[in-house]
Amino acid sequence: MSTTVKSSPAIALQQVPNAKGRGKEKGGRRLAALFLAPTIIGITIFTLVPIVASLTLAFFRWDIISTPEFVGVDNFVSIGADPTIRRAFLNTIGFVAVAVSLQLTVSIGLAVLIQSKMPSWLRTFFRSAFFFPLVLSAASVSIIMSYLFNQNFGLVNQIIGLVGIPAVPWLTSQAGAMVVIILVYVWQNFGFTFLLIIGGLSSIPVEMYEASSIDGATGWKQFKNITLPLLSPTLLVASVMAIISALQIFDQPYVITRGGPGDSTRTAVMVIYETAFKQLDFGRAFAIGIVLTLLIMLVTAVQFRLSRRFVHYN
Amino acid sequence: MSDVSRRLALSLLGVGAVGAVGASWPRLTGADIPGRGSESLNVAILGNAQDAASRVNLVKAFSAANPNIKVRIQAIQGADWGDFFAKILTMVAAGTSPDVVLVATEGAQLFAERLAEPLDAFVQRDQQEIQDYFDDVHPSLIEAFMYQGSLFQLPMDFNSANMYMNTGAFEKAGLARPGDHWTHDDFYNSLTAMKKTGGKQFVPYYWTNRLFGGVVPWLYVNDTSFLKETRSTGGSWFWDKFYANDPTRGMRSGGYQWLEPNAEDPRVAESFEFLRTLVAEGLGTSPAQGGGNELVAQFASGLIGTTPAGGYWVEGLHEAGMAEDAFDVQFFPKWRTQRHQFGAAGYAIMKTSTRKDEAWEWIKFCATKEAMELAMPLPTTTPTRRSMVNEALYAGKGPAHWKVFYDTLDEFPSSGPIPAPPQQAAVESALIKNVLGAVTGSAANIKPAMSTLQRDLELALRRN
Repeated sequence: MSTTVKSSPAIALQQVPNAKGRGKEKGGRRLAALFLAPTIIGITIFTLVPIVASLTLAFFRWDIISTPEFVGVDNFVSIGADPTIRRAFLNTIGFVAVAVSLQLTVSIGLAVLIQSKMPSWLRTFFRSAFFFPLVLSAASVSIIMSYLFNQNFGLVNQIIGLVGIPAVPWLTSQAGAMVVIILVYVWQNFGFTFLLIIGGLSSIPVEMYEASSIDGATGWKQFKNITLPLLSPTLLVASVMAIISALQIFDQPYVITRGGPGDSTRTAVMVIYETAFKQLDFGRAFAIGIVLTLLIMLVTAVQFRLSRRFVHYN
Repeated sequence: MSDVSRRLALSLLGVGAVGAVGASWPRLTGADIPGRGSESLNVAILGNAQDAASRVNLVKAFSAANPNIKVRIQAIQGADWGDFFAKILTMVAAGTSPDVVLVATEGAQLFAERLAEPLDAFVQRDQQEIQDYFDDVHPSLIEAFMYQGSLFQLPMDFNSANMYMNTGAFEKAGLARPGDHWTHDDFYNSLTAMKKTGGKQFVPYYWTNRLFGGVVPWLYVNDTSFLKETRSTGGSWFWDKFYANDPTRGMRSGGYQWLEPNAEDPRVAESFEFLRTLVAEGLGTSPAQGGGNELVAQFASGLIGTTPAGGYWVEGLHEAGMAEDAFDVQFFPKWRTQRHQFGAAGYAIMKTSTRKDEAWEWIKFCATKEAMELAMPLPTTTPTRRSMVNEALYAGKGPAHWKVFYDTLDEFPSSGPIPAPPQQAAVESALIKNVLGAVTGSAANIKPAMSTLQRDLELALRRN
């Protein structure tokens, strides 16, 4: 008894903080759940439900105002048989290959130039100037670009006309239209990749360059053997993001060329939009969307797989 | 009773204050979403808030005449009618359908087939009130809004594809205004003459690649189209009642039908070849898809000799600084026929509306001359009432031959609407994506382009 009496305060002393701690932990969890709830509810309503709905409705024929009709895998089968959709996917892949390569090259080149010796105010100016197009509305930029590249009255043809080059059918020839779309897209989007690379370059120790200089390495050798390897983790992130974004291109071709001439600038997301809202075939549009999602996942997986070979974390 | 700490008391007080402020703050609720509120008749139009505001006087006049009906104009933005219709469909799917929608020819059959309520019972019931409207409106415009024997809309405004001409460019080339029945060869010769005197940047013929004013007017005057055009039976109940004495009564039907593609008709290729020649010889532009934004400014600057457009262009040219005698308008050139293309727009009552009677009152009011004058005070379009297309509307703005706008219907009563079956959006996409390939490059491109167009149209028409 006495033992019990004696030991009670000690036990109590030990238990009270534990009970309080558990209570705090519980309260903390509740608070965390409370703070997370809006995000979870938002993701559920605006992301998960639409994903499940589109996965389901891809197996239906649905014009948005009538009752959906189950058609099995017909929507997926018809994708392969439709030459417009095939062309749109090929265009998208070609666009991604060229636009992302150009975006990364331009971003790396400009980032390396900006990091070289120059007054800090000039560096700040260039960083802002390169990022600025990203904050503009893609639709507004595209409308202005369609004026600039107009074959008859556009400023671009007027400028090149000054040096005797005949008017280029930028928007009315298949190759010209795709060139314009790529240029406009890269001009507007390279700012983000550029900022990522600036961040990556800043994290490369200056001592590496100093040491290599002592060993006689300069310019291209330093870039190839120090900058690129140490920048590779950043480049991986930048390229993954750039590819995912480019695979979803819509605004520029929709506003500037409406996918033309012919189908030459029609993209995967454009056919999703057109199938849904022009042809009122929402089930098929969902099916195309799923194919595009799978393509994005595949490309990203391949990138990560390849990154084991080319990305250096140390 | 447990003790309440000062911290807890202050927290509760704070939460209470925030809650009270939040509860009393004016805010949007689900009922504020147009279509969900039950107090107003929701009228959807293509446009922005400014377009909605421009109808304030119309709504006021309607409210004065119908004090028990509240009207809410809902402006919906879209790049074109197709975008607008897609948004209306989304609203229908979301359960927030408007009661009345302003629908252009492009969407007339889509709405008639799926979304709109026929007006047959309403017009028959209120014949005495509405007869004045029909007496003033050309039957071709009404027929464009008949579908399978029923009437679905009362057209408020329209535009035919006439030919705008830069009078300065014509004069410079030594050309007089062409006669009413000028031919496509006369047109070609005029362009050739203007090209010689127009200067480096000058374009004798500017055209855009779209359903209105693109290749279609050239198909119509060549007595063909890219879709086979037939007419529905029925509709006699309407024509006998409202247009019994009209000289064109015999050619009226239950509405247009476009059920099959016709791109491989040799006359279609012939029209494309004519346009291809214009492009190849530098007389006409290569029409960019989605182009045309720069057209008004360039025409007003004198850089364009001719272009197809309707009465909707007058105010734009005036605002761009073009003098009233600096441009003029003429009928589209004759080929095998001189049949014109036109587009029109009118209000449709949605099937889903629970306010159909009120919606009809709105439509009936909008069809009165008083309302149409309030809705169209400027020549931004051509009113469907013949009596409103008068000297006063074009005073100080031009063109000198403004009568061409309405005379198009009288002179060429077989003029027809834009080919717009219920699958219009898909059909239009199929057309415009194949036009450029056909009119640029060699003549050998036309046949394969027409085959591709035929295939794409078949696919488009197959979709319901």
